[in-house]
Amino acid sequence: MKYGRKSLHDKIVFYSLAIPAIIIALILLLLLLTQTSLSIPIFNVQGVTSTYISTTWRPSYEPPPTGAWYGLLPAIWGTLTSAIIAVLLALPLSLSVVIFVEEILPRRFREYISAIIDLMAGMPTILFGIWGLSFLGPILQAYVMTPLHEYLGFIPVFSCKPLAPATVLTAGVLLSLMIFPFMVVVIQETYRAIPITYKEAGWSLGLTMYEYVKLNMSMISPAIVSAILLGFGRASSETAAVTLVVGNAYNIGFCILSPAYTISSLIANQFTESGDFPYMQNALFAGGLILLIIGLIVNTIGIIILRRLRF
Amino acid sequence: MSYGIAVEVKNLNVSIAGKPILKDVNVKIPESTITAIMGPSGSGKTTLLRVLNRLIDLIEGVEVKGSVKIFGRNILETDPYEVRRMSGMVFQIPNPFPHLSIYDNVALGAKINGIAKSKRELDELVKWALEKAMLWDEVKDRLRDPPWKLSGGQQQRLCLARALALKPRLLLLDEPTANIDPVNTLKIEEALRNLKKEEDMTIILVTHMPHQAIRISDYIIMLYEGVVVEVGPTEEIAINPKHELTSRFLRGEM
Repeated sequence: MKYGRKSLHDKIVFYSLAIPAIIIALILLLLLLTQTSLSIPIFNVQGVTSTYISTTWRPSYEPPPTGAWYGLLPAIWGTLTSAIIAVLLALPLSLSVVIFVEEILPRRFREYISAIIDLMAGMPTILFGIWGLSFLGPILQAYVMTPLHEYLGFIPVFSCKPLAPATVLTAGVLLSLMIFPFMVVVIQETYRAIPITYKEAGWSLGLTMYEYVKLNMSMISPAIVSAILLGFGRASSETAAVTLVVGNAYNIGFCILSPAYTISSLIANQFTESGDFPYMQNALFAGGLILLIIGLIVNTIGIIILRRLRF
Repeated sequence: MSYGIAVEVKNLNVSIAGKPILKDVNVKIPESTITAIMGPSGSGKTTLLRVLNRLIDLIEGVEVKGSVKIFGRNILETDPYEVRRMSGMVFQIPNPFPHLSIYDNVALGAKINGIAKSKRELDELVKWALEKAMLWDEVKDRLRDPPWKLSGGQQQRLCLARALALKPRLLLLDEPTANIDPVNTLKIEEALRNLKKEEDMTIILVTHMPHQAIRISDYIIMLYEGVVVEVGPTEEIAINPKHELTSRFLRGEM
């Protein structure tokens, strides 16, 4: 026997601990199965590809394709653009925090900063949402988005006039504030794990602080890539806060100063009424399915890269 | 060959968090020689070595008093980044940067410190450093490989090459052969002798192996509990140690 002789007591402990672990794996499988099976009806009437690449969202009591039509591309586009903005802003922010805390801040203050970062990472996201809508959005509209449009309006991403505080950019900025504590933790843990002997070797070559930090950051670049991917995963799946600040308009375009939808905000806004319209709920499940797939891919790659890091 | 003084330490006192580590250290180390700092663990050998390139500054709560001159410059009053560029250092555990290739490990310091101006100069410098570290023949066909493909002893010679690429006049080694096999140990010792002879390099080596000190050093500094108990030419100390602690250390009794 592989594990040698086991007493009855050991067996009871083994199975009672193994079962919850198996259940977790089964739930993931079940989630995937439900999402897929409930998406299939809309794929049957609209086709998989046209459901995902169509830009029309037309609820109707008449079923698709002649009456209603549920194309998901604007929501997918809104999800990707707001998440990309979030990551682009959060990356320099989190790198600076890690460098400051690890290399400049005296050791005795570090735990306070870490506590604040942990607190932010665990904050209920709806709090970010109402803060974003009532405070951050109006400020961005007045002092960031309007000037961007006025002075840099010739660049396509800033070409539309920011008519409301809730836009793709607002969602991206808010998301960046929400994911950056999480990215800090991923990068910081790896940065701290760099063996002291490499750090000493760096200093012994006479590197300046800038060159030294650059060397260390390149040493842990897999962790940085992984933080980007995991941050992107979080940003693309965030719901409560984004629903409040993204504007919820079924637009698609390159301009980030206009309101839009994300997949999760679309589901959150429409799901309760979707039972009234034939196939609409299935379309929302199809949106959930693509979100789940994006999340699985991004997080899996992120975790694999982090694991492969060697010192 | 010149016989000036490379390192002059006067009344050096070092304490960490109030605890004295080095007490009133006074030594002069001549140029183009190999000096071994000997002593049991905890005697302050590594601390003394790390004062010489200000790596000691990295320890929180450290206090350094006295004067340390390297080639006439008081390094305690010089910018630490500049001090570190004056010498190369090899550590106890082989520590080539794992994300850089063999070539880039050697080239890094030289590139950043502006020692090599062009790609060709850099290539030549890397070759020179690897040759001096007696590693060139083993890696010349795989300079782009990551360093962890090398054996431990080869990695340590790579670290020696990385230090040499700074073209330092002073080379510091902290028990460089403590973790590697006898063959690689002899290769590193031969490399050090050649660096002294051919490049006029001043080499200071911390070791807890008396035989190593006798094999390669010209001078010995014997430390015990932060105090220099004996300094002198290796032949004299090896044959006729003046201090009881030194003779016990040389006999391997501590």
